[in-house]
Amino acid sequence: MDNFVKNRLEIRNLSKGYDGKEVLQRVDFDVKDGEFLSILGPSGCGKTTLLRILIGLMEADTGTITKDGKDITKAPPDQRSMGIVFQNYALFENMTVLRNVEYALRIHGKSKKEARAIAQEMVEIVGLKEHLNKMPRQLSGGQQQRVAIARTLALNPDIVLFDEPMSALDALTRMSMRAELKQLQKRFGMTMIYVTHDQEEAFALSDRIMVMEKGGISQLDTPEAICAAPANDYVRSFVLDTLQSKIDSLRRFADEQKA
Amino acid sequence: MKKLFSSRHILQASICAFLIFAVLLPIISMLTQITGDGLNEVFTSPQFSSAVVNSVTTGLTATVISLTLAMLAAWCMERISMKLKAIFSVLFIVPMLLPSISHAFGLVSLLGTNGLITNLLGMSGGIYGFWGIVAGAVLYSFPVAFLMFSSILRYEDALPYEAAKVLGIPGKRQFLDITLPYLKKTIISAFFSVFTMIITDYGIPLMIGGKVTTLSVLMYNKAVAMIDYDAGSIIGAILLVPAVIAFFVDLLNPENAQNSFVSKPIEPAKKRSLEVLGYVFCAVVSLCILAPIASFLIMVFETKYPIDPTFTLYHIEKTINRGADGYLLNSLLYSVLVAVFGTLVAFVCAYLTTRMQGRFGKVLHLFSITSMAIPGIVLGLSYLLFFNGTPIYGTIWIIVLVNSIHFFASPYLMMRNTLEKMNPNLEAVGQSLGVGRLHIIWDVILPKVKLTVFEMLVYFFVNSMMTISAVSFLAPPAPKPLALMINQFEAQRLMESAAFVSLVIFFANILVKVVMQLIRKFSADEE
Repeated sequence: MDNFVKNRLEIRNLSKGYDGKEVLQRVDFDVKDGEFLSILGPSGCGKTTLLRILIGLMEADTGTITKDGKDITKAPPDQRSMGIVFQNYALFENMTVLRNVEYALRIHGKSKKEARAIAQEMVEIVGLKEHLNKMPRQLSGGQQQRVAIARTLALNPDIVLFDEPMSALDALTRMSMRAELKQLQKRFGMTMIYVTHDQEEAFALSDRIMVMEKGGISQLDTPEAICAAPANDYVRSFVLDTLQSKIDSLRRFADEQKA
Repeated sequence: MKKLFSSRHILQASICAFLIFAVLLPIISMLTQITGDGLNEVFTSPQFSSAVVNSVTTGLTATVISLTLAMLAAWCMERISMKLKAIFSVLFIVPMLLPSISHAFGLVSLLGTNGLITNLLGMSGGIYGFWGIVAGAVLYSFPVAFLMFSSILRYEDALPYEAAKVLGIPGKRQFLDITLPYLKKTIISAFFSVFTMIITDYGIPLMIGGKVTTLSVLMYNKAVAMIDYDAGSIIGAILLVPAVIAFFVDLLNPENAQNSFVSKPIEPAKKRSLEVLGYVFCAVVSLCILAPIASFLIMVFETKYPIDPTFTLYHIEKTINRGADGYLLNSLLYSVLVAVFGTLVAFVCAYLTTRMQGRFGKVLHLFSITSMAIPGIVLGLSYLLFFNGTPIYGTIWIIVLVNSIHFFASPYLMMRNTLEKMNPNLEAVGQSLGVGRLHIIWDVILPKVKLTVFEMLVYFFVNSMMTISAVSFLAPPAPKPLALMINQFEAQRLMESAAFVSLVIFFANILVKVVMQLIRKFSADEE
């Protein structure tokens, strides 16, 4: 933990409500430079709303977001140097893999040659070199998600946000994507914020986990610390019991196999 | 973020203002035309009460016949294993490419006083009146009901029937407990839309009604022929009632949309006797649909049927000398302009209601589909009353505007369906990548929905070519479209010219449809 020197993001007193319902209630937390932070909670806990506010797709009712010491609460999404990867990829279906990745670069005024070089490199990094000229619909779900990641990384953002990026993928693909994601983060030293409802995923990937319930933060700590000392009954049942039951069923399976 | 919000608000505000001026205010100006004296006069006239009776009886009879035939036809296409299905299903929607008045005119040309069949069989030519109206209305509305029924049947799931079979439920009960409940909503909504479509149309009863006057003809006579706008407005308001009911029935029936997912399609029955019945039925229906068109061809290209059956272009030449080419150009111009303008507005509306959150979208959606509930003749009279004296009155633009509104709802819904299916996060991804909304629309969304855009263009074009309802109130003084000439030529006993005009509209529409089909095929190949 000592490697993390400074705070990339500081979130203070963030609240959001719609239709008379408080979706986020005075949320306070920091995101450290280069860390992998998971936001873990059941559907409806406000985690996606929080993510959309962080990137600027939604405005908070109160509170501030500070990035590298600068107030970005009201900055438009493209001036935050953040990228986002969605659950359903949201690829540009009418463009090839390469075009998907280079499109934003071209809009930002990069020359065709330059944009292409960056895009090619990114596609290669996510392991899709041989699929450069395919259309998204010709790719598997996991491959499409890799394109979405490459598209985000191409702009070299400071922070990448993930909105349940693997929930549309099968179990096997999820496992291999996890490992790749970890490698990518190491390679680029990027700060990543990862929204998920999957306890296993959060524990496998994260430097720290933020457990959310009903628009508030229940606990924010390292996986080890959460295991050692869950903050309350909710964290114990939602996080630890779920993991324990998975471990139990795996163990039972392993025992049966042995017998 | 500030700038984005303001441009969005400008867009929303201008669409709102547009719809208020193009729909709400004209309708209000028609309704405010109604006075107590006028009401008294209209309601006490014997003409009015008999028109109500005529409208309701012809409307109900035609609706029941039309729905029955359409259901049988759809059943043949979707539930019986038949060859030639592709041909039949195209033939069944052919009447959609003809103006309503042409259907009645087709019947007159076959079975009227001097009709082809009348002369051939030496009959009396008694098609005019109640049964003429019913027959014309059935021809006119059959394709609409057929399309509704065949799409609902096509997307019925086979699994409930398999489950019923396993549970040992007899066929009759399966029909009552599975099939009927599944079809109920579509039948109800088809009933209302067909009934509304029939009683608000004046072309058919005007041409073939003889002494039987319906409400729509009465309104047309009052407002267009006698320039009695007060009486016209009152009847217009009454004609709005079934349309409004139909609209609310549809609105309260939102699940009317068929299954989005069919786990197992139903296999058409392979039974010889059913197939034979199916062929006979489909052939008879096709014959009824094709006979009027055949009679138009005979009238136009034969010198004098049946005395002199030699081929001639004389009738065409004569019709062109009467100015038909000019009216055709008017119609083409209108239709192209309506297609472009209508598609643009419908796209913007569909985009605003699907891809921008907020309450505004819901209000706009409701407003957009309201145009469906307003009959063309009501819209026409409303425009006449509201825009009279404004610079747009009497120009081509008022016709473009009224047609764009009249045919707005269907293309709007087409685009809405397409946009709803697209990934909801495209604009959000764009924003995070610093790619603005307009770029995403232009580079990502439009290429993806271009087929729907073409369908919208075609829908607006075809309907503008055929329509006689709203335009009859506004042209003249605006340049006359071709479809209005059918009635005029028939009234002057220039039957060949009326037939020729019907054919020109018909073939122009076929041409556009064929081009659309080629585009669809081309883009399917491209995929």
